[in-house]
Amino acid sequence: MTLTVIWLLPLIGAILVAGMPPHLAKYMAILVALGALAIAGFVALSFAPNWPHYQFDESQLWIPQLHIFYRLGIDGISLWLVLLNAFLTLIALLATPTGMRGASRFIALMLAMSAGMAGVLLASDLVLFYVFWEAMLIPAYFLLWLFGEGERPGRAALKFVLFTLVGSLLMLVGVIGEYVFTGQQTFDLSKLPTIAPSPAIQFGLFGVFALAFGIKTPLFPLHSWLPDAYAAAPTPMLVTFAGMMGKTGAYGFLRIAIPLFPNPSYWWDWHWVIPVLAVGGIIWGALMAIAQKDMKLLVAYSSVSHMGFIILGIFALNVQGQQGALLQMVNHGIIVPALFLMVGWIYDRTGTFDRSSVMGLASRMPIFAGVLTVVVLAALGLPGLNSFVGEFMTLLGAWERAPALAIAGAIGLILAPIYMLRFFQGAMYAPEPYPRPLDDIGAGQLTLLAPLVVLMFALGLAPGVLTTLMTSVAQQGLAR
Amino acid sequence: MLLLGLDEPIRHAATAPDLTYTWSQALSDLGQISPIATLTGFMLFAIVVELALPRPRRGGVVAMVSVVGYAYALGTAAYRWIYGLSGPAYHGFASGDAFAQFFEILFAILGILTVAIAHPYLTRRGLREGEFHILIMAAVIGMMVLGSATSLVTVFLGLELFSISLYIACGFTRVETKGQEAAAKYLLVGGFASAFVLYGMALVYGASGTTLIPEIAQRIQSSASGNPLLLMGILLMGVGFAFKVSAAPFHMWTPDVYQGAPIPVTAFMSVGTKAAAFAMIVRVFAGGLPHLAPEWQALLAFVAATSMIVGNLMAITQTSIKRLLAYSGIAQAGYILIGVIAGGKAGLAAVLFYLFVYLFMNFGAFAVVTLLTDADGDHDRIADLDGLHRRSWPMAVLMTVFMLSLAGFPPFVGFFGKLFLFTAGVNAGYTWLVVLAVITSVVSVYYYVRVLIPVWSPSARLDGLPAPISSRAAILISGAASLGLGIYPTYALLVSTLGAGPLTGQ
Repeated sequence: MTLTVIWLLPLIGAILVAGMPPHLAKYMAILVALGALAIAGFVALSFAPNWPHYQFDESQLWIPQLHIFYRLGIDGISLWLVLLNAFLTLIALLATPTGMRGASRFIALMLAMSAGMAGVLLASDLVLFYVFWEAMLIPAYFLLWLFGEGERPGRAALKFVLFTLVGSLLMLVGVIGEYVFTGQQTFDLSKLPTIAPSPAIQFGLFGVFALAFGIKTPLFPLHSWLPDAYAAAPTPMLVTFAGMMGKTGAYGFLRIAIPLFPNPSYWWDWHWVIPVLAVGGIIWGALMAIAQKDMKLLVAYSSVSHMGFIILGIFALNVQGQQGALLQMVNHGIIVPALFLMVGWIYDRTGTFDRSSVMGLASRMPIFAGVLTVVVLAALGLPGLNSFVGEFMTLLGAWERAPALAIAGAIGLILAPIYMLRFFQGAMYAPEPYPRPLDDIGAGQLTLLAPLVVLMFALGLAPGVLTTLMTSVAQQGLAR
Repeated sequence: MLLLGLDEPIRHAATAPDLTYTWSQALSDLGQISPIATLTGFMLFAIVVELALPRPRRGGVVAMVSVVGYAYALGTAAYRWIYGLSGPAYHGFASGDAFAQFFEILFAILGILTVAIAHPYLTRRGLREGEFHILIMAAVIGMMVLGSATSLVTVFLGLELFSISLYIACGFTRVETKGQEAAAKYLLVGGFASAFVLYGMALVYGASGTTLIPEIAQRIQSSASGNPLLLMGILLMGVGFAFKVSAAPFHMWTPDVYQGAPIPVTAFMSVGTKAAAFAMIVRVFAGGLPHLAPEWQALLAFVAATSMIVGNLMAITQTSIKRLLAYSGIAQAGYILIGVIAGGKAGLAAVLFYLFVYLFMNFGAFAVVTLLTDADGDHDRIADLDGLHRRSWPMAVLMTVFMLSLAGFPPFVGFFGKLFLFTAGVNAGYTWLVVLAVITSVVSVYYYVRVLIPVWSPSARLDGLPAPISSRAAILISGAASLGLGIYPTYALLVSTLGAGPLTGQ
């Protein structure tokens, strides 16, 4: 029941708050998110690190005719992402201004999306996974469309949904194929890795799953929905949308595509296809980030670059790489929300996302500038902050796989300071003291950022907390 | 039917049928078709009421009579289902088996929902109510006959009964030229389709020497696959059936007829005709010609593929919800055909399940559009939904549920319907058809979501939406079913499996 509550509580909350006045809705939603976070925290604390199977598992026959179960479980891969999801939901709700149009509906949809993402991470039945995977699109679509910014948010929302659906509807064929072609008629994710179908069929199935996950992550040539969607998304939504939803794609690779289809995973890896795409994403994302004037798009493209590291780590197909990837998922999930929040606050004060027309913030908002320094340094991978460890481990894994990959990937580490520091310097300093001081961030906004910044330091200085718990599972996935 | 049973002995029949007909036999036969019989009784009573009562009152009374009739038929069918009563009737011309009961229940629910939205609609438009309900009852009876038909003759009887009733119902708004056009078009095309079906039946009869479907299955073995009479018969019947389920390339009539007919008729037709025609296809092809499966599967696979492509692509540019749902219905017919082609227990159960849930999601969508009608006529442009969430947020939420369900989003029931159909398809080796189905589904999401844009967009419209209690109840029931059957589809699937039982040898 514990895991059910983690996704059901936000969903019930979403239905309840939809009709409430904004202040009450926000208050209630924060309570709900705190509840979900507390339960996720309880699960994390009582998690048995050396038990390489699903824990807290629940199993309930759902559709017996097709052997579909309502199965939930948590392991070293999903544990951290579930925590991250609950945590980011809370941050996002705290960051939601109650003055916005339709705030209650916004909050309700945010909770519903959070419930969907939690479900994706918790499901250990392939159909249930698919149900959550598709269902989380519905609130995401409405959030982007109804509360989006820019000229035509509806267009960006539709583009996002159609892009994702091309992959995920084909994935439905894969889900059905997995049921039929393994000959065992089961959707059990703990059993499926042991009964892979014939290699020829694996290739077909891997293709559809990888396409779906690749679009969601996004993997390099499939990323074109991302800048539009991120540019349209309102800031509080980006906290979970950018921080969490992309991770579900990477999670899908780690949880489903690789364990279920070993032959094609190794084949595509061996033939350099996916690692090269990942490296391509790292470099392309970084180059595009350098070229952006819009700060929101800059962060969006830096996201493409960082997701490249995650895929590179996953497809290194060794323990360092996959651990690094998982660590990097959490790291990126902490850094990107902070960046988007801060960019959003710059917009609130100056009315522009244009990098070149924002100047001299260091003297105009000193506290803000101080925090941004930490966040930017974390984002570009400074040792001692969290991102460094994850990127280093993925590159280490890639080096073991093939040194050339690690070298190419490291180019991304060189490019990151360029776009990050250019943005930072341009925004912070000005040739002469800027005349008009701006409101600095207040205590409320600082408390929002504080946990994120604390985590950046904590994970940067002691990443072992996460990696020890992940070890067992990542190794289990590679055991075959 | 009585007369048909006593008619001249079938020429090639090995043994002459038993022609003695006793009272006890008559009662037992009537028992087998009791839901149809009771509904017929209520319809006759409704005609009397319509004639006897003074004009201002009779509309409502006829509506009540028909609701009671549907409820009674529903109860009878459910009773027979629960107690497992089934058996042949009228010398095997009809059967009161689980398959028949399944469709009787489905059509009775459809009838009740139709009255619920038609009563306020007709009142608002100032149309004469009594005749309308009687026509719909006749159509429902015809559809129920199709569900229980086990002879080609009975199949044709049911087909004509519901078709002719609907020809009239389509032109019910006599002042509207569009309605007249729809009725005339439907009459011509429908008559054409009936002729195809009849010619095909004649050829199959010629080849097999019997019109009784189970006997056809026995007499025609696989060796007969080269028989040109049979192949021609299958082809002609297939064409006629494709007309009736509005599958491409025989779909041309659908958008025009849907658009011209009054919305309650469109809502009724879009669901009822489809379910009835699929009942007919399953009875005749899966029940009567199992040994020629490769032949009709190839034909239906072609029709399914064309329908999915044409339906989904044509729907993109529509501005009228009626036309959009007509094209979407063509595409949905394609999906359902996958289940028919796959066949077997899982395939037919998936077909029945989809037909059952399609009833709620498609009917619900039409029912919401019905609310937009005023005295001028139907307002069925997508733009007419403008500001629905401010005019009535529950209706906006429910419309969203219907559209997302039709688009196949979980946790709504449309997804599970597709899951079952596609699983059966892949299991039967029709992976290419399933891949085509999901690719065209992506397109479908675009136009279903497009309907939602005016529903949720900011709008200046603040005038309330007059939603009569009966319409509201019908929409709410449809919405609850679209969500509830999705969250827990187990029992509905079980019922569908049992309903398909008589045709899968169980």
